[in-house]
Amino acid sequence: MEIRSFGSSSAGNAYLVTDGRSPLLLDCGLPVRELKQATSYQLSSLDGCLITHEHQDHARAAADLMRAGVDVYASRGTIEALSLTGHRLKVVRALEQVEISTWTVLPFDTVHDAAEPLGFLLAAGGEKLLYLTDSAYCRYRFRGLTHIMVECNYSKVILDRNVESGALPSAMKGRMLRTHMSLDRVLDFLAANDLSRVREIMLLHLSDGNSDAAGFKKAIQAATGRMVTVAEKGEKL
Amino acid sequence: MSKETPATQVAKKDIVDVVAGKVRGFIERGELHLPPGYSPENALKSAWLKLQTTTDKSGKPVLSTCTPSSVANSLLDMIVQGLNPAKDQCYFIAYGTQLVCQRSYFGSMAVVKNVAGAKDVYADVVYKGDVFEYEIKGKQKQITKHTQKLENIDGKNIVAAYAVIEFEDRAAYTEIMTMAEIKQAWLQGQVYKEGGNSVHHKFAAEMAKKTVINRACKAFINSSNDSSLLIRAYNRAGETIAEAEMDQEIAEQANQDYIDIEAEIVDDPPEDENTKTEQNQPEKGQKGKMADPAQQTIVGPGF
Repeated sequence: MEIRSFGSSSAGNAYLVTDGRSPLLLDCGLPVRELKQATSYQLSSLDGCLITHEHQDHARAAADLMRAGVDVYASRGTIEALSLTGHRLKVVRALEQVEISTWTVLPFDTVHDAAEPLGFLLAAGGEKLLYLTDSAYCRYRFRGLTHIMVECNYSKVILDRNVESGALPSAMKGRMLRTHMSLDRVLDFLAANDLSRVREIMLLHLSDGNSDAAGFKKAIQAATGRMVTVAEKGEKL
Repeated sequence: MSKETPATQVAKKDIVDVVAGKVRGFIERGELHLPPGYSPENALKSAWLKLQTTTDKSGKPVLSTCTPSSVANSLLDMIVQGLNPAKDQCYFIAYGTQLVCQRSYFGSMAVVKNVAGAKDVYADVVYKGDVFEYEIKGKQKQITKHTQKLENIDGKNIVAAYAVIEFEDRAAYTEIMTMAEIKQAWLQGQVYKEGGNSVHHKFAAEMAKKTVINRACKAFINSSNDSSLLIRAYNRAGETIAEAEMDQEIAEQANQDYIDIEAEIVDDPPEDENTKTEQNQPEKGQKGKMADPAQQTIVGPGF
């Protein structure tokens, strides 16, 4: 399995995953022009794009992708919030498994201030990937994961310091606590799951100014003993 | 933060001195303007007396369970807002190891009057059958008419409530809430249930007035006061409580049921039951430690 990050921040999130046969896009929160460049103008070779929720940093290119002939998979709530229509739309529901080319995908509900946000568990070729972003926490646990892409948005300590210094409005802090995953919550999540088959953990969507990439990587690595990377624009896992 | 030494083991003098020192610093730097007649020393003395007998949910003294920094912050919040616990303007409540200074409805009105300079704050309810009219000018609402007949007054027929904050030198600030909005606000708390028999049902008009006054005071303080110190103190209790509630939700809801992809069975495509969700509640004891390696996933062909 190969995972590439085209963008991983509140400016735009999009990842390409492939099992060697079938490439999928996870979220499309970048201008379609950038997605075209990132895929070497091979958008039409994508077997689909899974969208977690309607916020623009995850869904910006949805309509453009459909026009380019890519099937878009999202919840009913997400689709309605984006006012999307067309035959390229595929409605998925939490805890109802779907087949997309060589992939089997299980969407599940996440905790975010969006209409009907989802995370995705994806399996292909004996490997199992979890894609979990923009969620205050995860309600579920998983078995046999080989790859984990998880949001690690902020550190509570840094967040509190920024509120104290006035760098971050306290209302913003409240929203972050209710809608995004902190380092501590990621550590608890990883501790509650069986990581025996996990080969790689990719940390996503680090908040500008409220995170510490090197510190997060070290902390997760120390707790799990697994290879940890921090997703950056265009970085190859 | 829970590893801090409990407040009882820190001398009263230390906490009170720290708070008094910070207050002096704020005043010297011109960041804090206390209402005339408000004595921070007296408020601190009253608060410290109250704290001696204040307990948390499980009956333990808050001074032994709450962190000294949260005790100091709650006292500081009290002073910055010019509140006095002896006048029931605020209460000290423990949320886990965090002590917060929670304003009462009298307290909210006191802040708006004494610290934010309002002349008066009042509220009333609109019943079914009342004549009630208001205008919206810019972002401001202005009530132009409210007439009522005695027979309209019935706690079960409240349509809306409004609060008005009046000033000497500028236009009044008005907040109007429909009964649906008021009930929604009540539902955020632990006490009110639709069809229940709480104080909200027995004294609906009084509770509706309190709710709209609190809303008006909050909106007014946050939108028009330029003292970041006051705004922070005003909002801190709500934030600490929201944070404690989120922690509670996570403790109860996070990392619970296992879900998995059901293995594909070749030549027999799954139909309805194509998702496996394990309903059996996982053992709570597993949370917080690495999973047992014996708990291997049952993987099907192709996985």
